Amino acid sequence: MNLLGLDTSTAASAACVLRDDDVAFEAIPSVEELAAPPAHSRDLLARAAEVLDRAGLTFADIDAIAVGTGPGAFTGLRVGIATARALAHAHDLELRPVSSLAALAEGIDADARLPLIDARRGELFGALHLAGGSTAVEPFVATPEEVVERVRESGLDPLAAGDGSLRFRGLLEAAGVRVAHDESQAHVVRALYVCRLGAGTEPVAPDAVLPTYLRLPDAQPRPS
Amino acid sequence: MILGVETSCDDTCAALVTRDGAVRSNVVASQGLLHARYGGVVPEIASRRHLELVDAVVADALERGGATLDDVDTVAVTRGPGLIGALLVGLSSAKALAAARGLPLAPVDHLAGHVLASTLGDHPVEPPYLCLVASGGHTFLARVEEPPDYEVLGRTLDDAAGEAFDKGARLLGLGYPGGPELDRLAHEGDREAFAFPRSLPGDGLDFSFSGLKTALLYRVRDLGAEETTRRRADLAASYQAAVVDSLIARVRAALERERLDRLAIGGGVAANSELRARIGELAEELEVEVWIPPRDLCTDNAAMIAAVARYTEPIAYPGYLSLDASARVA
Ligand SMILES: [Zn+2]
Repeated sequence: MNLLGLDTSTAASAACVLRDDDVAFEAIPSVEELAAPPAHSRDLLARAAEVLDRAGLTFADIDAIAVGTGPGAFTGLRVGIATARALAHAHDLELRPVSSLAALAEGIDADARLPLIDARRGELFGALHLAGGSTAVEPFVATPEEVVERVRESGLDPLAAGDGSLRFRGLLEAAGVRVAHDESQAHVVRALYVCRLGAGTEPVAPDAVLPTYLRLPDAQPRPS
Repeated sequence: MILGVETSCDDTCAALVTRDGAVRSNVVASQGLLHARYGGVVPEIASRRHLELVDAVVADALERGGATLDDVDTVAVTRGPGLIGALLVGLSSAKALAAARGLPLAPVDHLAGHVLASTLGDHPVEPPYLCLVASGGHTFLARVEEPPDYEVLGRTLDDAAGEAFDKGARLLGLGYPGGPELDRLAHEGDREAFAFPRSLPGDGLDFSFSGLKTALLYRVRDLGAEETTRRRADLAASYQAAVVDSLIARVRAALERERLDRLAIGGGVAANSELRARIGELAEELEVEVWIPPRDLCTDNAAMIAAVARYTEPIAYPGYLSLDASARVA
């Protein structure tokens, strides 16, 4: 089974193909890309084509697609999910939705893992995962102070990573939460892990796959 | 066949159009009511809804057109102008669909879509022609010589005509979007009951509607709530006449200046009954032939996007993989 994985939950665009012989061809975004203006429309599909090319495959050879559904910046998530859904529809494939926080956690080298994605407006998307893939705390959106509180309540000593942990490193470390070093690849959501998690996920109809927003749109009904 | 996709504002649209301009299907999933309680389009809500609907709308367009993806030779998609988050849903979807099938992709200027809507169907307009595009988002006059190119002869300097109708309707307490209700109410009123300004800025062919809106605001304030309600039909008729008079004056000037004898109308305001009647009178007077497409080709739709692709060389795979949306098309 040739499995394509995509993720756009951060400013970076990640793509990977896990070929049927289990060899992975991956476009790993740089840590710097996390702080750059989002360019998913420019990068995502081009990177998907590039990893397929390296694997000696075309879009028509894809048997399964996994996509990171966030949480993350809304516009980027929609680019990734719209792309994955259309690729699936074009060849009557199903989709495997994967938590971007779970994929981020896969790259953290520690027993307890605290993936943190920048949610803007001073907040973070986070979750707590244990080595082996189990989830100790389900995805949430919270201020860094609340994140610290949740870590305390869990009784775990996790290692944090992700663009959110980079943004609030000072605050997190001051409260005793460890953060992966600045250059660590662990801060990037890798599509390889989206593929690996997706391989064990039950596929669903493409239309059923939507972003994990965790937040309502900013809009107030107009008083009339 | 060309598959068109359009998600620039609050309608999720897909359509199938043949090379010779026949519309096989034209599907629009309108979000109008979803935004009504906010008094306007909320970009984040529109973008969420586009993502929920886009694949189903594309599938519906194929099915209603009696076709499958195998029958599609080109994918056309709106690149801009519009709400960036909304545009990106349709663009991402169209790019991926085209890439997965190795098809060429035609990125389309939404405004060119409105200008060329009249080239669809059994009785297409032939260039050269003048096109008035008037909707809630845009108002401009264009000269079309060689599609898909068009020369903008004049445009609104502030509000769009449809926006003027909607804002006027709101001042009269008619809800959102109130343009159609204003039109209905105007039939019962006297268009000369109130004198509203006909703003024709500069010597060229530009439009301006913000002063008119302010004039209505003051008039409503002077009349008070009770009197405004009592004379609502007269206010609607007089206000609508002022908007339409401005549009007609510029169309007349453009036809005469450009020496054109074909006129097409595009955009949602083409559904306005006063405008349709007055365009008809003007056409008769100046001996000009008029094209007003059916309503579903005037409001935002994907058939008009596919129509533009008939005149453009699409980008072959993989040249469009990095294509980005543009809130403004240069
Ligand atoms: Zn439009």
